[in-house]
Amino acid sequence: MVSSEPEKLEALREEVRAFLRENLPQKWGTPAYEPLEAGSEEQIALSKSFTKKLYDAGYTAFGIPAAYGGIERPPQEIAVIREELRRQGTPFPFVGLGRLVVDTLLQWGTEEQKKRFIPPILRGEVYWIEGFSEPNAGSDLAGVQTTAVRDGDEWIINGQKCWTSGWDYGEWGFFLCRTDVNAPRHRNLSFFLFDCSTPGFSRRPLRQMTGEAHAQYGELFFDDMRVPHENMIGEEGRGWYVAMTTLIAERGGGQVSAASGETGGMGLGLFGARTIGGVDSLIELAKKTKHYGQTAWDDSSFRGRIAQIAIENEAMRAYGMRLGKMIMSGSASGNEASMAKLTWTEQGKRRGDMVCEIIGAYSQLMRGDSRAVDGGDLVYGMLMTRGTTIFMGTSEICRNILAERILGLPRQ
Amino acid sequence: MAIELGLNEEQSMLKTMARDFLATETPKTFVREMMDDEVGHSPELWKKMAELGWQGLVFPEEYGGASMNFRDLTILCEEMGRAVMPGPFYSTVILVGLPILDFGSDEQKAEFLPKIANGEIVCTLAALEESGDLWADDLHFRALPRGDGYALSGTKMFVTDAKAADYMLVAARTRRTQNPEDGITLFMVNAKEWGIYMDNMTVMDLTRKQYAVRFTDVPVSASNIIGELHGGWPILQQIAFKASAVLSAEMVGVGEMAMEMTVAYLKDRMQFGVVIGTFQALKHKAADMYAAMEYSRSLMEWAAECVKENDRDAPMAVSMAKSYCGDSVKFVTDAGVQLHGGIGFTWDHDMHLYFKRGRYNDTAFGDGNYHKEVIARQLEANLM
Repeated sequence: MVSSEPEKLEALREEVRAFLRENLPQKWGTPAYEPLEAGSEEQIALSKSFTKKLYDAGYTAFGIPAAYGGIERPPQEIAVIREELRRQGTPFPFVGLGRLVVDTLLQWGTEEQKKRFIPPILRGEVYWIEGFSEPNAGSDLAGVQTTAVRDGDEWIINGQKCWTSGWDYGEWGFFLCRTDVNAPRHRNLSFFLFDCSTPGFSRRPLRQMTGEAHAQYGELFFDDMRVPHENMIGEEGRGWYVAMTTLIAERGGGQVSAASGETGGMGLGLFGARTIGGVDSLIELAKKTKHYGQTAWDDSSFRGRIAQIAIENEAMRAYGMRLGKMIMSGSASGNEASMAKLTWTEQGKRRGDMVCEIIGAYSQLMRGDSRAVDGGDLVYGMLMTRGTTIFMGTSEICRNILAERILGLPRQ
Repeated sequence: MAIELGLNEEQSMLKTMARDFLATETPKTFVREMMDDEVGHSPELWKKMAELGWQGLVFPEEYGGASMNFRDLTILCEEMGRAVMPGPFYSTVILVGLPILDFGSDEQKAEFLPKIANGEIVCTLAALEESGDLWADDLHFRALPRGDGYALSGTKMFVTDAKAADYMLVAARTRRTQNPEDGITLFMVNAKEWGIYMDNMTVMDLTRKQYAVRFTDVPVSASNIIGELHGGWPILQQIAFKASAVLSAEMVGVGEMAMEMTVAYLKDRMQFGVVIGTFQALKHKAADMYAAMEYSRSLMEWAAECVKENDRDAPMAVSMAKSYCGDSVKFVTDAGVQLHGGIGFTWDHDMHLYFKRGRYNDTAFGDGNYHKEVIARQLEANLM
């Protein structure tokens, strides 16, 4: 320890603060800030440019080897940077699902693949999409039917994927498909990366229960789409295991999340809706909404439930600190991420329901009605939470994972 | 100062040592013997713990302590919860030792702390009355000036380990003004004085005995006032604050053990020709138990670190830990009984020991609902 170290860290802290003042959107962190619609053009453009700025400033890409564009800093500096980013509620700096690709490649990619794909992701240059779920393979992901047949140095892909978020912005994607129709389950799949401009690839929107015209999710179609063999990640027939790494990362348990202090799926959504909301807005809503002569905040049942959400937020944050430490020290299996995912999504539903109870009769009004509370965003948010407990592994699948892979209970 | 969760090497050793010691010294046969015992205190165990330095763990060396910190203490208490350890450790160290360390005069510290550390005395706190709540307006117990000192009269309830105690830290009203929090004074009273009558309360959790204690004109010297005359309420609040963090740690031990016992049973018990852990209805409950305990541990470690570091988040962290751990331990021990089926409902099975110890810990110093109200007020104040 040199004596100038504390001053150096303080200088770094000031530098990060100045950077954030300059680069976060106006009104960020105040009630007046209006989040951009997730998946909108503006949100994606802002996400890309902000990711690049953060990377150029050296505030991201920790825990990734420098050879692949990672940034190495002493742990004390990383701690200061994280603390300052967190203080401003800075969004998780990745575009689309790129961070999942980073985690997957770090574990399974060849040297060449890592050098080719990781750096542009860190710089926020490519929007990545996922092709896992299919109409007949949801929770039973290993039952995917999309096929790949080898033809020289290429694979010919046929099939359909669904529930792809950011479907229309995808520039690159990854998917899981069958490469061997005779091999046993879990040994018959391979994992590929593909360029969305490849002929034979098409996409269309999937309208969801929230009803908006611009669909957040879409369907992908592969019609004799050709993918070069060099885009296969991991060995042929071992795609299931590669996909497990991707899913763990998606649920917030990957190395990238751990290194940036965002374990537990809290950091999804860049300048879009925040996944975990604080309780301040809930309290304000409860204080200004009256029913039967008293405000909702004066109703002890609401106060208790709002306090419970505050408690759970801190519990998830504290657990994230522990999980991050476990991932970095290698004592986590990765399955812990299923717990975090289960918790924040189930909590989101309860929160959404409570908001609707607070606004009472107005919980019937959707976006587009001038009388709707908050322009209908609250009710829209409540409906959206219904998707969260299904995507990325349903709550039931998450519980199976915890019970079987962590507690060691037998499979059926 | 950044708050770090998890254990360092020294703390891991302390945890292992505590777990091994308690496995040997407090097996369930011993726990049940103490449950049946009227006093529930083993002087032999007390002496052995003192030899390990447990009672004086956080006291400075000048008072015979080991100069370790509050987080270390919670590690011990977690293991005590895991073992459903009976006896007056909590009453002596947490409810009396810590406030003397924090608020006692140099003379009082020199008088009491070494005796606690070397296992010479047992102490407890007599604060609650008829309402069972720590609420200033409910405190009626009187201390009237007499000679150079005071005379205590009234009845204290829910006094833990009173029959084992040599000293009681008694909260008494020394004056009544508009403000009920003013005029409360804490006295260190010799528990063997004439005029003190103890009546066993028939409690659910037999690992922690409780008594109704009646005082009739019991004399106490003014030199035995801990803190300021009329200024006892903030000390009681500080006791509640630290005890809540400790009880949360105990609840993590209680809940984790109940969960582990249950998971082991799910892997062993056969019905319909398969182990019952194969069934998703039971698996999913086990998964929820696991999550409840992981979050309990996370909040408890955060709270204990905040108390240790005197962090400004400490009051919020402790209330959050106490509320969440209380709710979780009730859920997990209830599920523990349910998933064990009939055997879980028997006296001979140990699950009810965990169920009941969990209930004690949840109730003491405010249950989940109480702490949620505290949190709601704090959140509202933070908004202003």
